[in-house]
Amino acid sequence: MSRSRDVASQAREQGKPSTSRPPDFTPSRPDAYRERPRRTATWSGLEVKEAYQAADAPPPREDPGTYPFTRGIHPNMYRGRYWTRREVCGIGGPKDTNELIKYLQREGQTGVNVIFDIPTMTGLDADHPRVPHEIGVQGTSVSSLQDMEDLFDGIPVENLSVSLVVTSSAAPVILSMFLEMAHKRGADVSTLRGTVQNDPLHHRYCGYPAVFAPIGLALHTAVDIIEYTTRCVPGWHPINVNGYDFRETGINAPQEIAFALAQAEAYVQGALARGLPIDAFAPRFAFYMSAHIDLFEEVAKLRAARRMWARLMREKYGARSPDSWKFRFAVHTAGCALYPQQPMVNVVRIAYQALAATLAGASSLHCCAYDEPFALPTRQSHRLALRTQQVLAYETGVANTADPLGGSYYVESLTDRLEEEAKAVLSQIEERGGMVEVIDSGWIDREMEKASLEYQKEVESGERTIVGVNAFSIPPEEDTQVVGEEAPAASKTDQIRRLALWKERRDGGRVRASLGRLREIASRAHAHAERVRDALKGRSTPIVPSTAPAHEGLTDVNLIPAMREAVSCGATLGEALGVVRAAFGESYDPLEALMDPFA
Amino acid sequence: MAKVGMDGHDRGIKVVSTLLREAGYEVVYLGKLLTPETVVAAAVQESVDAVGLSFLSGEHVTYTQEVAHLMEARGLRQASPPPSSSPVKGEENKESPSPLEGEGTGGGGGVPSVKLFVGGVFPNTDIPKIKQAGADDVFPAGTLVTEIVRRIQSVLAMS
Repeated sequence: MSRSRDVASQAREQGKPSTSRPPDFTPSRPDAYRERPRRTATWSGLEVKEAYQAADAPPPREDPGTYPFTRGIHPNMYRGRYWTRREVCGIGGPKDTNELIKYLQREGQTGVNVIFDIPTMTGLDADHPRVPHEIGVQGTSVSSLQDMEDLFDGIPVENLSVSLVVTSSAAPVILSMFLEMAHKRGADVSTLRGTVQNDPLHHRYCGYPAVFAPIGLALHTAVDIIEYTTRCVPGWHPINVNGYDFRETGINAPQEIAFALAQAEAYVQGALARGLPIDAFAPRFAFYMSAHIDLFEEVAKLRAARRMWARLMREKYGARSPDSWKFRFAVHTAGCALYPQQPMVNVVRIAYQALAATLAGASSLHCCAYDEPFALPTRQSHRLALRTQQVLAYETGVANTADPLGGSYYVESLTDRLEEEAKAVLSQIEERGGMVEVIDSGWIDREMEKASLEYQKEVESGERTIVGVNAFSIPPEEDTQVVGEEAPAASKTDQIRRLALWKERRDGGRVRASLGRLREIASRAHAHAERVRDALKGRSTPIVPSTAPAHEGLTDVNLIPAMREAVSCGATLGEALGVVRAAFGESYDPLEALMDPFA
Repeated sequence: MAKVGMDGHDRGIKVVSTLLREAGYEVVYLGKLLTPETVVAAAVQESVDAVGLSFLSGEHVTYTQEVAHLMEARGLRQASPPPSSSPVKGEENKESPSPLEGEGTGGGGGVPSVKLFVGGVFPNTDIPKIKQAGADDVFPAGTLVTEIVRRIQSVLAMS
């Protein structure tokens, strides 16, 4: 386990009251007014001193906007521009989500953040035999270009920052559909702004089995997007390295930093192996981080991550452009710190988490809705989450100055501490052969399982107090009843019917021909991807592919031009990804229920 | 213990499986992305006392119902409402197929009474619906495992 946990267990043994006796929170407990904190470690288990002095946080400290950017990537932070306020949304068919996006825009969100349902996330079409129950349930359903057009119908996509939450190797197909949709509308694709999550290596840690994102394919499609947007859509963030989903598995703050940075390094190395110069793509790298419940530790975590990324880019990868050194991150408040017991308490938790995010200088923020431990948010709870951000922005004054906690003895000391602990985890990953290797070997999974089990045991024993869960609980019948939002009942059958119509009306010959071209490029890409994968495990040096003459500066293994062509000819998500999977030696259908109809 | 459907959020089910093991139960965690058929076939093969399902998919009612029906069809339990609404159990009052291999536990001679437990993330207003769909008890996220163990014991003691 990480050093921080060793430290935590040592600290616990040093003269702390025994944890075997559960704490007493009964109203009649004696000496309640004398109560003092039982747990004096941070959420991650770092022991905290009674008071911090100047000696705990020795200078020098740089100004905001200067290397290594501990205090922020801009000199004036939010005085220059507020964080983007956008709520993750997605439910039912694309038309249902289109209405939801418009609702959130009317309520004042300043960007769009769409999440897709499980079939779409995993690259399966709505008519796949294994998915009828899941269509539009955890996000919205997109199988074809028509769905993407419906999703953004009446929403101008120019001068808007759009975030597409799709992680697996489905990401390049969804991005292709988005670009084709904009192109058909007459938009200049090269000027579009936005983000695609595109972190397929982490896909297996947010609930999906490895079969949906085999490592070789995952790395390849991730780098395809980096290469493509760097050359063709320069305002786009090609990747949103997801520390958030890692954290949701139960790991601690230093591990969140280390796993996210190590993961980012795998993509950086993949992009370098594609022949891209570091300063061409690093300035558009972005991260998606958690804001958990320990306010100061979370601020320190994000400050430490910013400093570590800057040093990594400059010192290890030799980036010369200051833009390459800047750690840009969005924050998603930690859903795993919310509970269904006494759900209104979550409103308070979310506000503290969002405060941590903005004190730490997040570029973009999603606040969870208080009812998320039950179901997808309702319109009202979505609105309240957005209002939480608006109170922060307009009433609290948190945006008035850069890095308001900079110089705090405690926060500076904790930032140093988080950096030290995260570095130790990074070294562990390096010693084991790097991120791709520790994913493959299952080491990451074991770290997560240990962490979540340890956390639950600490809740069970009362070592951690969770209000409403193991303290101050109330009978379920007295609790707030939450109905939760459900996808409109007809949306599932509608999606299947509309997809059948789409397939009937399209030109089958063109679909087949375009998928044939995609398969051909994918076969070439496969050979390259195998070499890159081995190289990242330290076994060989990759050969940089040649540059294709047809597309400015793109290499001949990039799948996106052919994907764009295929989806514009009418190919579906499942078909485009299936053909690529087959060329990569995987099954056309990850669930092996469908045969490759184009073989 | 298993996850059915396409949802793969498995932090909860893994933790609960481990803590049930530590509490002395023999636990088989089948994994995720399973069909109801696979889960029930495994339950028959392992002659389990109880099946545990975990959801964060929004499809908890549909899949609970599918698993419960299959358990009835495979003779693991009777097609009667859960104990909360009908205290008298064990009567041969149904027309479903005969028990397979007669290996199930509990139930005393006739159809075995394999229990069905459901946990995860769902609206608390759905808890009665999940019970109606066939669950013997339901544990929303945040329920302490010590509490889960206590309630599983008391349900199993009733059979």
